[in-house]
Amino acid sequence: MRRLKFTGLHGMVETHLTGVFSRSERLIAATRAVARGNLKQSEVEPILQEDIRSLASLQEESKLDAFVDGQLNWQDLFRPFTEIFTGIESGGLTRWFDNNTFYRKPVIARKIAFSGSGLQEYFRVHLLPKHGRKKAVLPGPLTFALLSDNKAYQSFSDLVDALAHSLKDVVKALSGSGYECFQFNEPCACEPKRTESELETLRHAYETCAEGNSLIHTYFGDASRAIEALLDCPVNGLGIDLYSTPLGSLKEYDLDKTLGCGCVDGRNSLLESPTELKEIIQKVQADLEPPDLYLAPNCDLEFLPHPVAEKKVRVLSETRKLLSEAP
Amino acid sequence: MSKLFPVQEIGSLPKAPWLLAYLRGKKVEQADLDHVRKWSKMVGFEFESEVLSTLGFPRNSDGEKRLRELASIFALRYLESAGLDYVYDGEENRIEMYEHPVRNSDGFEFYGHVRSFDNRYYRKAACVAKVAFRKAYHLDEFKLMKQHARRSIKVPITGPYTIADWSFNEYYQQQRREDFKDLQKLKLEAKRDFVIDVAKQIIYPNLTALVEAGAEWIQVDEPALTTRPEEVPFFVEAFNECTKGVQCKLSLHVCFSDYRLLYPHIMDLKNCSQLALEFANRDDDQRGAYDQLKLLNEFGDRREIGLGVADVHVDQIESPTVIRDRIEYAAKILHDPQRIYVNPDCGLRTRSWDIAYAKLSNITKGAELARQAVS
Repeated sequence: MRRLKFTGLHGMVETHLTGVFSRSERLIAATRAVARGNLKQSEVEPILQEDIRSLASLQEESKLDAFVDGQLNWQDLFRPFTEIFTGIESGGLTRWFDNNTFYRKPVIARKIAFSGSGLQEYFRVHLLPKHGRKKAVLPGPLTFALLSDNKAYQSFSDLVDALAHSLKDVVKALSGSGYECFQFNEPCACEPKRTESELETLRHAYETCAEGNSLIHTYFGDASRAIEALLDCPVNGLGIDLYSTPLGSLKEYDLDKTLGCGCVDGRNSLLESPTELKEIIQKVQADLEPPDLYLAPNCDLEFLPHPVAEKKVRVLSETRKLLSEAP
Repeated sequence: MSKLFPVQEIGSLPKAPWLLAYLRGKKVEQADLDHVRKWSKMVGFEFESEVLSTLGFPRNSDGEKRLRELASIFALRYLESAGLDYVYDGEENRIEMYEHPVRNSDGFEFYGHVRSFDNRYYRKAACVAKVAFRKAYHLDEFKLMKQHARRSIKVPITGPYTIADWSFNEYYQQQRREDFKDLQKLKLEAKRDFVIDVAKQIIYPNLTALVEAGAEWIQVDEPALTTRPEEVPFFVEAFNECTKGVQCKLSLHVCFSDYRLLYPHIMDLKNCSQLALEFANRDDDQRGAYDQLKLLNEFGDRREIGLGVADVHVDQIESPTVIRDRIEYAAKILHDPQRIYVNPDCGLRTRSWDIAYAKLSNITKGAELARQAVS
């Protein structure tokens, strides 16, 4: 198996955001007005752009190491791919894991192919700072397939394979537009009901779609349930949700990837103490001995009201600062 | 012998359009006035002229209070007219099922909106201090219903688990901060503390206030109950805490869930005589959804069932014969028709007034057909 080192790290602890950021009250008001027919979609665009720039500035001020655009116009993790890919339609509302939040189940109506349309709409790299790495966040092929309604492929593994190939096309296209690292979100990988066969499919999928500097981010579940398969995937980094994964369960594994520590809780407004987080991260370093490390929220920050999400970014930044000052 | 297959409402109806227009300070349109006139005649609403007169004046606090009351009485007449045996006010007087109790209790603070899906959002509160009772937030509406109802009353109230699950938990997590190195344990135990405190400090005094005012049946709504299966025991403990010594009939409404996750835990509920559950949403031509009732037999659960026989998420109107078939099928599984009450799957607030009325009317017709079939 390929074991790659996450480029960009030089023995330092880094800090990233992991996915969909919280919408501002102004953007919420505008999108609500569109839904009620009181505003044109085109009138939301300037507000959206301003909010992406504002998030970019926050990441810059907070000295984050890989910039994301916050996916502020993504209706859920899969919706953009009803445009970017052909063959996928948007289905019924379905609960998003154990949250009081819902997504539209993708319906795989026909064979999937990368169409290329919508990429600029959903990946706003041109609004991010010129310097520094840009990170694109994508649905992982296993999670995408498990949370879809498959009407087009004979087997589950065929669907995962098709998604992996199309996601590879997305990664290639985005590499050409300025993105340098790619995060695949795989919350389903750590669900207790995963079978060995599904985890084997996961391994194969990343042989296909993991291009360049890539990582898998897991959340809402205990990563130790799938740790062997995740470590086999040819990616550079692996993100885990520290609110769902007991550290002790990972101790026996040789973590040879950059470890993403989901240490800021994206599902509770209580602000973590940077001092306490520093202690937790130092314990991670001591117990698991990962080669490198990045601090992150455990999941998307969209579950929090916007002002709280902004404060959580600053908590991350402050924690990193304390760690860098630690003896 | 008591009436077989009594028909009950579950909770919310859509907000009356004329009430919304008034509350939002919008111009009352002709369509709003037509709504008042049409439905007043259809359901025998006796305050038509007062509604029309109030709508004719600019918004003011007295008008708002009275119009909310009139909307509640209007919904009551609507449910009575559709033929229901157990009625309430369609929750016309509440903001909605989460925000209403939280805004009327202490210990919570709203920071802003979070997304529910697409461009739909809700205000989510954070628990920032030990939760505390501020007032019996359903008492005025209950007294109004008691004054005007011509059928029996059942009061729906949001349960402790759902209030806690739909809030951020700052205070109780902060209290357990000594566990900060074990983040899973910290979150889980803080959640239990929160749920139990909502039950003791907020729900219990609300239930006792309603009973003291004469409530005979209260339905505890817990739509979040199976969201985290490992936390179902917290709910059981909370339900038992908040209903301890409460002298009225108590029932539990759960919907859109895997009911297997409730068992065996809910066998330990000490003061719950009915489970009102959604089924129609997931039914097929073979009545397959109702096979889940076998769970009750499997665990020896002899409680009443509030049988969801109409899907609240589609406009298609279930025919009386389909409803009859669903009731009969359930009665065969449970071996006891006396335990079955009939209801929509959940509140009908997402349907139009026309669709909701057609569904409710057919439920009462279907229940009558079922009575004839089993008698």
